Amino acid sequence: MDILVCMKQVPDTETKIVINPEGTGIVTDGIKYVMNPYDEFAVEEALKIKEKMGGTVTIVSMGPQRATEAIRTALAMGADKGVHLCDDAFEGADSYSTAKALAAAIKPLSYDIILGGKQAVDHDNAQVYAALAELLDISHVSIVTQLDVAEDGKSAVAQREVEGGAREVIEVSLPAFIACQKGLNEPRYASLPGIMKAKKKPIDVIDLAKSGLSADEVGEKGAKLKIRKFFLPPEREAGKILEGEPEELATQLVKLLREEAKAI
Amino acid sequence: MISFQPSEEQGQIIDMVRRFAADIVRPNARDCEEDKAIPDDLLAKFWELGLIANSIPEDCGGYGFERSAVTGALISEELAYGDLALALAMLSPTLFAYPILEMGTEEQKKKYLPGFCGETFKFATSALMEARVTFDPTDVKAQARREGAEYVLNGEKCLVPFADRADLFLVFAATAPGTGAPGIEGYIVEKGTEGLQVGEREKYMGLNALPLYRVALAECKVPLENRLGGPGGCDFQRILNLSRISWTAMATGVCNATKDYAANYAKERVQFGEPIASRQAIAFMLADMAIETDAMRFLAWKAAWLADRREDCTREAYLAKLYAGEYAARITDNGVQVLGGHGYIREHPVELWFRNGRGIEIIDGLAIV
Repeated sequence: MDILVCMKQVPDTETKIVINPEGTGIVTDGIKYVMNPYDEFAVEEALKIKEKMGGTVTIVSMGPQRATEAIRTALAMGADKGVHLCDDAFEGADSYSTAKALAAAIKPLSYDIILGGKQAVDHDNAQVYAALAELLDISHVSIVTQLDVAEDGKSAVAQREVEGGAREVIEVSLPAFIACQKGLNEPRYASLPGIMKAKKKPIDVIDLAKSGLSADEVGEKGAKLKIRKFFLPPEREAGKILEGEPEELATQLVKLLREEAKAI
Repeated sequence: MISFQPSEEQGQIIDMVRRFAADIVRPNARDCEEDKAIPDDLLAKFWELGLIANSIPEDCGGYGFERSAVTGALISEELAYGDLALALAMLSPTLFAYPILEMGTEEQKKKYLPGFCGETFKFATSALMEARVTFDPTDVKAQARREGAEYVLNGEKCLVPFADRADLFLVFAATAPGTGAPGIEGYIVEKGTEGLQVGEREKYMGLNALPLYRVALAECKVPLENRLGGPGGCDFQRILNLSRISWTAMATGVCNATKDYAANYAKERVQFGEPIASRQAIAFMLADMAIETDAMRFLAWKAAWLADRREDCTREAYLAKLYAGEYAARITDNGVQVLGGHGYIREHPVELWFRNGRGIEIIDGLAIV
């Protein structure tokens, strides 16, 4: 099977986020970047499918030069090759213009299934895969916690989380986009030989010209969404501890919930 | 002149081992210490990282990538940041495999190295330390005497990791007493060889997760071809240097863990209306811990860099190990001090790191890069 994985490099989840003084973005100095944790599930699942059914795993990523590191990490885990959309024109993209660029890179490729994380942990939009599936005219299944690809590789059965802790079981014809959720698998560590071998695996760099798109279709110019301001959520204030008899407490609590918190 | 920039692969290796140490090593350290045992599945998880097979030649079943003492030091530090006893246990097969890889004859490599490229953790070890106050690793009392087509080994060793389960032992013994490092050679002794006696498990102040044994050799006969490096022998001083580099790097990991833990604690622990980290008595201690940890790391790196260039690093490795022993005791002691009463409670790891760190000065030859 030809398996594609859409992967994004994001700030390490332990990063302390600082907004720049202009409020137009975050301060990127000194940030450590890692593979989006949900995409790790996608890489792992792709490798498992490959181990079972044979084929190749190709990592597709859009991002600046540094995103190569995350592609190499996926290659070190066992993926075969990378495709890196890298051009200043792709900068400042929203979900739509990201999907547009990814679709342009993916269309010429042969693929039986595409995997990716259910969302990237930086912007948390969870929209790229749906838009991408639409642009590629394939189905997508989101928030997948179990995946079984049929032996003939023509269809798959996916379980997805729905509200209330229930599971929805979906049979989907392939190719389709599978958006992976935690619980799907336990991502492997890259092995030392894997890391050493990753260096020699090919990464195809696609710039704007090679993507066949025009500058106003991608990046900030192609975005439907404009970010007006970045700000951090207000710091949580200390909680209140009420004291007294249960009846009194209940009265006080209801009063506070209604008048102060305006929750009821 | 110099650069502290890791190569791209080293960067990835550091990230990978750091994560492994955080996910697998650290969370299991306390239980292993209390149980005085390491579950096999932890060793299996480490084995999957392919550390040893990575540098074993392809014709011996490995991947054939070059081994580097600097990379080894980076790995040692990150694993020991998780836990020293588990790091030593996980790396214990290198005690046998690396000297064979570097100094073994072609026959020794072909015979023994493929065993380290399999799917399961290979128990193999080495025996260097001897239980006496005046022990000096360049003056071992264990003796090797040649008798016809055999070497006959006699002596007593201590601190031999996994002697109960190891298939292969590399025993260091002197052919000529009093000749220092040049007179010491390594002898391959297979499990079950007559005269190889695995004694009682030893009990120590720390490192309780790691099974350490006494091993006695009583007229233990091995064929001539079991001498490491064949008739030419081995470069024992280099083995000792590589082990001191690893030991220093591991000490750095323990100290760095202590420093990070103590600093985080001091920033959160409020006394008299402010975090204790803003008190100079604590702040100075934390600053010293950071300086000393960095110094230890750089000493290890310098020696490792020389080792990779195949230059003599005896002096550098010795100074590094000496510094590591003294300052690991001091830094881990300060770790307990910063936490105050909490430092003495087993719910925090600093008391474990203190007990483990205290042994670094005393022990030699338990690790190799």
